[in-house]
Order: sequence, then structure tokens, then C-alpha cells
Amino acid sequence: MKVTWKDIGTVPNANEFLDVVLNRTQRKTPTVIRPGFKISRIRAFYMRKVRYTADGFTEKLQDIVDSFPRLDDIHPFHQDLLNTLYDRDHYKIALSQLSMAKHLIDQVSRDYVRLLKFGQSLFQCKQLKRAAMGRMATIVKRLKDPLLYLEQVRQHLGRLPAIDPNTRTLVICGYPNVGKSSFLKSITRADVDVQPYAFTTKSLYVGHFDYKYLRYQAIDTPGILDHPLEEMNTIEMQSITAIAHLRSCILYFMDLSEQCGFSVEAQVHLYHSIKPLFANKTVMVIINKIDAMRPEDLDENRRAMLDTITAEGNVEIMQLSCHLETNLMEVRNAACEKLLAARVEQKLKGTKVNDVLNKIHLAVPMVPRDGVDRSPFIPEAVKSMKKYDPNDPERRKLSRDVEAENGGAGVYNINLRDKYMLEKDEWKNDIIPELLDGKNVYDFLDPEIGSKLQALEEEEERLEAEGFYDSEDDDIFETEEDADIRMKAAWIREKKKLIQNENRSRKSLRNRAIIPRSKVRKTLSQMEAHLDSIHVDHTEVTERARGRAAEEKAYEASIDEGGVDTIMREAARSRSRGPAESTANEIQSSRFDAGLGTKSLRAKADRIEKMHRRERNRLGRAGEADRHVADTKPKHLFAGKRGIGKTSRR
Amino acid sequence: MPQNEYIEEHIKKHGRRLDYEERKRKKEARESHRISKDAQRLTGFRAKMFAKKRHQEKIEMKKKIKQHEKSNVANQTSTPDDPDGLPAYLLDRQNTNQAKALSTSIKQKRMEKAAKFAVPLPKVRGISEEEMFKVIKTGKTRRKGWKRMITKHTFVGEGFTRRPVKFERIIRPSALRQKKANVTHPELGVTVHLPILSVKKNPQNPLYTQLGVLTKGTIIEVNVSELGLVTAGGKVVWGKYAQVTNEPDRDGCVNALLLV
Repeated sequence: MKVTWKDIGTVPNANEFLDVVLNRTQRKTPTVIRPGFKISRIRAFYMRKVRYTADGFTEKLQDIVDSFPRLDDIHPFHQDLLNTLYDRDHYKIALSQLSMAKHLIDQVSRDYVRLLKFGQSLFQCKQLKRAAMGRMATIVKRLKDPLLYLEQVRQHLGRLPAIDPNTRTLVICGYPNVGKSSFLKSITRADVDVQPYAFTTKSLYVGHFDYKYLRYQAIDTPGILDHPLEEMNTIEMQSITAIAHLRSCILYFMDLSEQCGFSVEAQVHLYHSIKPLFANKTVMVIINKIDAMRPEDLDENRRAMLDTITAEGNVEIMQLSCHLETNLMEVRNAACEKLLAARVEQKLKGTKVNDVLNKIHLAVPMVPRDGVDRSPFIPEAVKSMKKYDPNDPERRKLSRDVEAENGGAGVYNINLRDKYMLEKDEWKNDIIPELLDGKNVYDFLDPEIGSKLQALEEEEERLEAEGFYDSEDDDIFETEEDADIRMKAAWIREKKKLIQNENRSRKSLRNRAIIPRSKVRKTLSQMEAHLDSIHVDHTEVTERARGRAAEEKAYEASIDEGGVDTIMREAARSRSRGPAESTANEIQSSRFDAGLGTKSLRAKADRIEKMHRRERNRLGRAGEADRHVADTKPKHLFAGKRGIGKTSRR
Repeated sequence: MPQNEYIEEHIKKHGRRLDYEERKRKKEARESHRISKDAQRLTGFRAKMFAKKRHQEKIEMKKKIKQHEKSNVANQTSTPDDPDGLPAYLLDRQNTNQAKALSTSIKQKRMEKAAKFAVPLPKVRGISEEEMFKVIKTGKTRRKGWKRMITKHTFVGEGFTRRPVKFERIIRPSALRQKKANVTHPELGVTVHLPILSVKKNPQNPLYTQLGVLTKGTIIEVNVSELGLVTAGGKVVWGKYAQVTNEPDRDGCVNALLLV
């Protein structure tokens, strides 16, 4: 959701608006027209101008309307803030006036374009265009006030602080002049004006700080006076908006010294009157200016009044002094802790947390697996060591302490070489040169490194030769059965893989049609191979199939000799066999060979055909395969009178 | 991050640039130089716009000066109201003034009688048939030319239905039909958008009256019930005559002056 509106474009005033749009029309549409032109051209020329101008106006108006935030789409906090600052009705009316103007301009352009279609002369068209533009201009001129208002709103909106309503927030509120702004200034880097008079802060200010690696925003609100909500002015309403809508920790500031000009009674009374706004929020009462007056020094009556605040229970009272800068951080940290706890609690209450918790599973071993205790190893010396406490005067001295003693970071560097373990202590701080006597020192750090490496390698070879690395476990555990199972499993896996691949390649279409299973041809050898592979005896099946094939051959031979037409033979065969079989194995007969008994007849037929063609080819005469139009101009299509619509159909 | 009135805040804290006042003064001083330069050097459309603006400004300025002078005069010398303050040679003019008033009132009455039949636009430009009607070619080969289309705006009554195409000699295009007119009441000085009831008289041609053509000078009847005019008898006036004062086909609307 949007939090800032810095990117709204400037809203021009009515006159600028007109200048921009009319100028654009003048620049971007043709400008030369003569009375001698065809009237349709003149009309189009002016219609284009009218349309283009209307488009320019509507586009600009729409841009303005769209760039402003819609009150229904933003967070309730911002909605309310905008309402108090700019008046919701005024704002909405201004925007709706703009969109209404857009609508009207559209209408005008439509009307005048329609009139231009009936324009009779250049002069008339021109006058109509003038009238259209004049009316559009009048509509825009009437927008003078809304445009001015929106420009002001834009400028103010861009300068509103970027308050994120959903993040961790501290809201600082209270009577005027009780030290709210000075608190914000001291805990954040916000540049807030602090003055010794009431209502210095006239709007919300936001500052950011980090606590425990989390970013917090603190909001400084203008002071509130104790009167009913209806009588509050814009400045006070802003703080009420912040208190009411932000899910935050509220710091109610009080000044017991009454330097602010308001009595303690009044301040307590204000707390009670705005208490309904604190529902579902964490509240802290902060007593400021303890350099001037502490709560302990209050008289009986006022003390009792102050106690009515804490009577509720979960309200904490803390004290601080912005002037002396005492207790600032403590208050801030306490508020942050409280807010964080409240936020976590709220999150746990909601349903959202379950979505996350469902996904998390922490696995814990239930029973120790072999009765061996595997607790972490902690050396005795560490266990008996005294715990480090920064407030203990007899604590261990750390390098950090040494640094602090000698002037702190940036002034004194601790010696990191102190912890070196060398033969002699005085070597510690010696400077090690990179090159010595023309040789690189690093090459001579360990003189025996070559021999050490050789020794290691020899040992490795020896161990390998002895079979130290051969795992003997396999031989021990593996029986023959296991090996068998292992082998079978591997075979199964491989087979599975093969089947999978085969199926994949079969199913991938690659731009081919799906052939139904019943139409796919499988040869006898394929069947044999498959049955072999699954170890099924297939002698009987193959024999039967072979017998069939031989029978068929004999039948065909007999037909060939008889010289019966192939097509007829197909039919006869399909009749003789069952319907299921016939569909599976039928072969399309060749028309080319139909009617010829044997292969030798085919060759003879070819020869005869060639002979017949020869003479015709020699004379270059048209053959029967050539395109031929019998009658290029049939008389019935061209002679006689043509009636209505008889040109193409006679 | 800057927030709220940060510019004013900054100025309050740190002040303006040191040469701010001087720059401002100089800029103001140069303004007249810039204007004179513009006046001399601008050409074309820009010059036209500049001159127009300048002209307007000068008128404003002169009016203001005149007003100031007048108020100064009024403050300086208060004119005496009593006739005693008049010079002697003007004293006996009072009676003649009364006589003059009487005669003017009589003249006025006469004028009014005549004005019953007078209209604000007594003369109109003649409109030829060629301008009024556009010939529409009909027939399969577009050879026939007996059909006409009116090129001016017209008023067509509410219950009007077009005749069959074969018999419709004159077309009144629906895009050019007007139902309402902007009527100005000359005495009240208000302009109201009123529905037209009928066309009473088109001075060009009785045929145009019949067709309901709206041209400059046409007398139309408008529905003034919105104005709430009352007759001498106390009845609410419903229809009243008005004269069209513009060429509707040039403005795309009908402006009329109420005849009272």
C-alpha cells in the first residue's frame, strides 16, 4: 500500500491547462485548408481538430484524477488524515468535478463532430469548430477552483511524512508543551522544531531509530487540549487520527511541574477522556521534566489523581528528563519491548501464525539409539571458570578494557601479537621480513617440509599395499543370497528405466498423429523377442503363426494364377475371416497394378504405353493430360441483354 | 527525510541566501525591461497574444486610476444637493424638466404601442433556396434529383414520423434538429435553456415556417413555465415568443431573445 504521494504531477491552473491543450492541437494537427478543397476533406480537417482537442482535454483530466489517491483504496489512517487536512467532501467533489468535465467535453466533441458532418462550407465548418473549442474552454475555465485546490493538496500531500501504518510505531501524545518533540528529537535524528511555547508542532512528524536490529518509527503528534472531539481543530484532529488508527505503543507525556501551563488535574483528565482510543494498544505514561518536579514530590490530592491512571492495570509509568537526558534510552527500550511483545501476542492470536507453524517441524530423536550418552563435551576448566560480568570490579581484563584505558578505539590499537606462542617471548613483536638475503622467507619457514611430505606419501603407499583401506565389511556381511538380490534389483531398475524410456519415446508425438493400438503393426519376430524376454514358451504360438502365413502365401499364389482382380480377392478374404482380424491386417491394394495378373504383364503394359505416347510427343500435340478449355467464349454467356444482376449468373 | 513545512523551517533556522533581497529587487527592476523587449521583438502569434494581454492590463490600470481619481474628488468636494447651491441661470430649468418628462413619457407610450409589433432584429439576410436545400440524387443510377435536404437547423415537433422514402421530398436531418434554445430575458438579463414549442414565423419564406427551419430572425414559441412569469390576470404564462438572434448552423445552438 502506498505511504507517500510525492510523485503526483503538477496540476496546472485553468488558463495554463487551456494553453497547453490548445497549443498542442495547433502544433499537432494540419493547419492549411482552402475553400476550394473537396467538402469532405474540409469536414475531415475540422472534425480532426475538434476530436484532437477533446482527446487532449480528457487525457489530461484523466491523468490528474488518476494520480491522486482514491480515499477508498488507502489505509484508514491516511484516509482519516486526508479527511482532517483537506476535507473528504471537498476533495471528492473536486475530483468528481474533473471527471464530470471530462465527460462533458466528450459530449461536446461528439455533438459538434456530428454537426460538422453536415457542414456546407469551409466558413461554416470553421465556425462550428470555433464554437466547439469555445465550449470546451468554458468547461475547463469553470474548473478554476478545483484545479487550484488540487494543486495545493498536491503540494501539501507531497510533504506529508512517510508514515507506514503497519510497522512498529511509537506514538507520542499529550498536552501541548509537555516535551513531546524534544523526546522525539533526542531518540531519533528527526529535525523537529522545539520551542518553549504551546503548539510548536502543528502536524505529525516522524523519526526512525533502531532497537535490537529492528527499525522503529516514532511519531510526534501536536498537543491535544481536553475538549470534545467535535470542537477539536485540524491540528488536534491529526494527533487523534494517529492515536486512533496506528497499531502502536502510545506514550502519553505528562508534565507534573506544570511548566507547560496546564495543571496535573487537566492532564489526568485528558488521559481519561482519550482513553477509549487506546483500546488494543499498549500504553505507557511518561512523566517528563523530572528535573523540575518528581512524582514523589506531589501533594496528596494530585498523587491520588495520578494513581487513577495506573489503576487500570497494564499501564506503566516511567520518568525521564529530556533536559538532562536522563532515562531517555530506558524509556525508549521499555516501550519497544512492550510493543514487540504486544505485536507477537497479536500475531499468535490470529490465524496467520498457523500457516507458518504447520510448515515447521523440529525433529528430536526419541530414544538414544544404543544407550551411549552423546552430550556435548565441555572442558572442566571452562565449567569452573567464573562467569564474566561487566559490572564486577574483579572481572577478567579484556583487550577491550585495555583499549578503553588507553584512549578508546581510534586512538589506541591493541597488540594482537600478545597471544602468539613462540619459544621466546621477546620474539613476539619482531618484524618478519618478506625477503631475507635475496630469498623468499616463506620458502624456508619449515626446512624439513620435503622429507615430511615424502614420509607421509610412503606411509600412504604402505597402508594401501597392506590393504588397510580395503573395506572388509562387505565380505563379512554379504552372503550369496544378498548378492543375488542385489543383482536382480539392479536388473529390475535397468529394465524399468528402459521401459520408461521406450514409453516416453512412444508417447512423444513429434508432430505425428496418435495411432490406435489396434492399428499398430507388430511383426512375428517382435512378438517372439518379447516373449523370450519374459521367459514365456512361445513355440506353439509361433508355429501356428508360421502355418497361417504359409497358408496365405499358397492362397495368394493360387489367386495370382487364376488372374482374379486383387480388390475382389481382398473382399473375399475379409469375408472368409472374422471381422476383427480383417481390420487389423488389411492392405490397401494398388490401383496401378490392378487388372494385371503377374509382374511380367506390368512391364509389358508399360512398354505399350510408351509406344503410344511416342508418336504424339514427336508431333508436339496436346495430350489428354494437358489443360483444355473446350469453349473460351460460350455464346450464351455473352449474347443478349443483361438484366439486373444477370452479369455473373446466366 | 524532509517533512511538513521543511522549507519554511529551514528559512527560519538558517535565513535566506545573503543576496536574496538584492536579487529580488533586481529581478523586479528588470521586469519592465523584459516587457519592453518583448513588446519590441516578439512577432507572429506570440506578439498577438502579448499585445492582447498588455492591452487588457492597461485597461485595468486605467480603470483603477480613474476610480482613484474619482474617489479623491468625492472626498475633496461634496456637491451640494439643495437647489440653493445652483447658479442663478439654472434656477428656472426645474419646471421645464418636468414638462420634458411628461412629453417623453407620452412619446414612450407611443413607442410602446408601435413596439408591440417590433422585434429586436427587424431585418434579416436573405437566404436562397440553393443555400437552404441540398439536392439529393436518388434512383439506381443517381439520375433523379427531386429530393431535398435542409442544411439549416430545424425544429421538429415531438410526434413527427417521417413519411415513406418514396414520398418524402424534404428531409430534415436528425443531427440538425433542435429541441431547446438559450432564451435571454431582456429585462431580467438572465439566460435560460428552454424547450421550443413551435416555430411561429420564419421571415424568409412561409414554407420554412411550415418546415420549422431555424435561422437568424425566426420567431419561435418557447416554454417559459420555468421562469414563472405571470400575466396581469394572475395566470402563469406557459408559452411565449422569442426571436432567434444567431445563426444556429454556425454555433451549433439556438440563442433567442424573449419578446416581452
